[in-house]
Amino acid sequence: MSRFSFLSSDRAVGLLFIAPFVVTALVFMVYPIAEAIRMAFFNYNPLRPDLVSYAGMSNFEFIFSDPLFWSSFGQGTVWTLLSILFQTVFGVGIALLLHRKLFGMAIFRGMLLFPYIVPTVVIALIWRWIFNPEIGVVNYGLLSVGLIGEPIYWLSTPTMAMASTIMLNVWKYTPFVVICVLARLQSVPLELYDAAKVDGAGAFRRFLDVTLPQLREVLIVVIVFRTIWTFNKFEEIYLLTKGGPGTSTFNLAVYSFEQSMASLRLGVGAATGVVMMIMLMIGSVVYLRVAGFGNEEKEA
Amino acid sequence: MTGDAWWSATKKASLYLVLCIVTLTVCFPLIWALSTSLKPKSEIFATPPTLIPHSTTLENYEALLGGRQQYYQSGGASQAMGPTPAQFFTRWFVNSVIVTLGSTLISIVVSTLAAYSLTRFRYWGRSVIPYFSLLGYMMPSIIFVFPLFLMMVRLELTDNLLSLVFGYVCITLPFCMWLMWAFMRSIPIEIEEAALIDGASRYQVFAQVVLPTALPGIIAASIFSIIVSWNDYLFGRVFINSLDNLTLTVGVMLFFEGTHVDWGLLMAASVLMTVPMAILFMALQRHLVAGFGAGAVKG
Amino acid sequence: MDVKLQGINKSFGNVSILEDVNLLFPSRKFVTLLGPSGCGKTTLLRMIAGLEEVSAGTILFGGREVNKLAPRDRNIAMVFQSYALYPQMTVRRNLGYGLRVRKTPPAEIDDAVERVARILEIDHLLDRKPAQLSGGQRQRVALGRAMVRKPDIFLMDEPLSNLDAKLRVTMRGELRRFHLDLNATTVYVTHDQLEAMTMSDLIAVMHKGRVQQFGTPEDVYSRPANLFVAGFIGSPPMNFLDGAIDLGRFKVREAALPLPPLASGVAPGLDAVIGVRPQDLSLVDTAGSDALTGKVSLVELLGSEKLIEVQVSDRKRISVQVHAATQVALGEKVHVRFSAQSTHVFDKRTEQSLLAEAAIGEARQ
Repeated sequence: MSRFSFLSSDRAVGLLFIAPFVVTALVFMVYPIAEAIRMAFFNYNPLRPDLVSYAGMSNFEFIFSDPLFWSSFGQGTVWTLLSILFQTVFGVGIALLLHRKLFGMAIFRGMLLFPYIVPTVVIALIWRWIFNPEIGVVNYGLLSVGLIGEPIYWLSTPTMAMASTIMLNVWKYTPFVVICVLARLQSVPLELYDAAKVDGAGAFRRFLDVTLPQLREVLIVVIVFRTIWTFNKFEEIYLLTKGGPGTSTFNLAVYSFEQSMASLRLGVGAATGVVMMIMLMIGSVVYLRVAGFGNEEKEA
Repeated sequence: MTGDAWWSATKKASLYLVLCIVTLTVCFPLIWALSTSLKPKSEIFATPPTLIPHSTTLENYEALLGGRQQYYQSGGASQAMGPTPAQFFTRWFVNSVIVTLGSTLISIVVSTLAAYSLTRFRYWGRSVIPYFSLLGYMMPSIIFVFPLFLMMVRLELTDNLLSLVFGYVCITLPFCMWLMWAFMRSIPIEIEEAALIDGASRYQVFAQVVLPTALPGIIAASIFSIIVSWNDYLFGRVFINSLDNLTLTVGVMLFFEGTHVDWGLLMAASVLMTVPMAILFMALQRHLVAGFGAGAVKG
Repeated sequence: MDVKLQGINKSFGNVSILEDVNLLFPSRKFVTLLGPSGCGKTTLLRMIAGLEEVSAGTILFGGREVNKLAPRDRNIAMVFQSYALYPQMTVRRNLGYGLRVRKTPPAEIDDAVERVARILEIDHLLDRKPAQLSGGQRQRVALGRAMVRKPDIFLMDEPLSNLDAKLRVTMRGELRRFHLDLNATTVYVTHDQLEAMTMSDLIAVMHKGRVQQFGTPEDVYSRPANLFVAGFIGSPPMNFLDGAIDLGRFKVREAALPLPPLASGVAPGLDAVIGVRPQDLSLVDTAGSDALTGKVSLVELLGSEKLIEVQVSDRKRISVQVHAATQVALGEKVHVRFSAQSTHVFDKRTEQSLLAEAAIGEARQ
């Protein structure tokens, strides 16, 4: 029973308003996902639509026996974990710096959040420019202060390419963590700090005993969200290194894209997507558990 | 000056110092890009590199916005390169604006109506849909892109800006929905009931009371949607194959094709791609932060 | 316009919120629905407003059934607990909204808004937004919005609960005055029995979805129909003692307290509960069969009065209200005297009043 449903026209309004969403979601979200799952069981070459054939589990067998799939998975995991680690540490640090009432803080805040809105393509271009081994300003700077003896090949050695993509990712998404943590910090009751001061806690202890426990919940949520998103990222890697040098910065999204686009094995690409989706489901369940979603809406 | 005051002044000064260092580090790539874009070709490769150009020039911007052909010196002869990416820059810019605004408009309208319905009426699925959206929010876009591409092939919409509008709706709708739902939930039902008693019809309540109240949420969702659509490379790369219909992101990456990379031009393009987002960001930063609170993070 | 509720029931799924509510609110009276939270009073008000569906029963305004009418067709006005002011509109637009959606000519709207604003003394706030107002000012705007339209029925849902104590007292008088000015039937919801007592012509005391008693403030205070009403109305709360009725007296421990005339058919030896208000008890020097003896365990000065708590047995304390000048020491042994005419008697099992005059009141309804 609804608070409003006594007017039959009211119920119609409710259904009318939800209808566009249902239609859009079915066509542009549910259908593509269903289609992706279906494609995972077919041989699918977009240039030869006449040759589509049922493939059973062979696409999955293909990826699971493909060493590149496993190395993409491993590299993607390393990329994700290191990115999240640095994002969280820097994010909390910057948020704590910004959480002060100082003159001009709004300007600092604005500038530090800015990277979040810079298009990935732009960041990738700038990265390629400043990390250029011969003419890039980063190598020039490091060489001139004597930190390194010879140019670093940022994008053309496997380790440094991985490091560069991580730097790009950390640079772009740390503001996300900053905004979330800052919002939470602003709601920490000041009495808690006063109480800790009265109890004789120093600045560091206050951080450990007051700030950190208050941030726990928001950090868990942010980390889970960011882990899922980062694991799925495509552009942040592809635009900077195209997965290279060789395949050393492939993650599953790049692997799936290359299987579909370069090798024209859409079925294999879709199967990779399905595997990613399953991992995402597991991640979501963890998230829902952690955040306690669904409890308050049960009566509905 | 007493010891305490000296101590607190020192603390403040060191805090500002740390802030400045962090901010400069974060902003350096952007500053460097801006600096490069304003340098003449001769200065771009100068050693030592200069942060503030000795002689500033707008030639890179003129080349992009004027759409003129680029010439470059080769073996003493000046030769045309044929159609160059720079020629298409303004066209791509317009394309990007069209698909970004188009998809944002659709996502916002659809999600606002749906969020209102979900928070005010009861029917089967009303508590499932927001979480379904959240799930969609977390889906990798790589899953959607090829099935949608095949759909566009069947609809004969490939190489059409409309296909990108649909593609972006697919990636922006879930979080617009989630954000608007969270926002609508926070609008007290009492003000709608007050309007009903005041004599407003259901549609008047929605248009005159709910929409104005929900405006901050609508703005926040719009910003996110615009950022995501403007940012996209994947859908543009897969759906579009003629130079005329490319968006900025895919188009600008074409600057790398060929043997010669014109860094000044690229950095100018980067700056121009960032400016609309920067304006949006500066004008609506407050709402962006509010959106984070409501949408991405619960509580 | 009078409001008649006939056999109203309300349930959400299996949960029953209201059961068989039958009430008649006479035209132009100030009627209060009083009860603790969760008693169904707000649901009942919302049903009168048309914001809530009626599961069973009929609501009549002036003899006309309104069950199926939308809120806007009922010519009612409502003040919400949260005030529910439109946040994006100025005070002026808030006040005029009800007239605007009814397509009243702008000049008329302006006149009405100005008039109401003057009455409520908020005419200097007309161009502010709700966020810029204090709690008391918002309250007045909410009232004003209801007054602008000259409604037949004026509904108020705990309108004073968000105000500070002092403002609440002054607003009580003002609300009463507005009710008289407005010439409408007012239905007022509150959990504050003092508000109900001071403002109402009639009070419906509600508990667990049922109307426990419907009558004048005098009725519910002096002749509570059952244990719940007796305990809910009055401050400090009534004292209750368990015991048995024996030959027109009330046996509790060694004492046999005097009782007023009981309704006919009360069986001797019946388990009963008596209730006496602290104001109706007195301290006496000598023990007697009409008094209980105990030690003073607490003394509270209320101002002109003193509230004394007397420990009459291991588990039982009685509060007695005496004049402030009375000198009592903690631990002192005192005797508390009960008088027959101010004692209320209830059946322990049914919780209904056993008094003869309560039965008369019941029959009158």
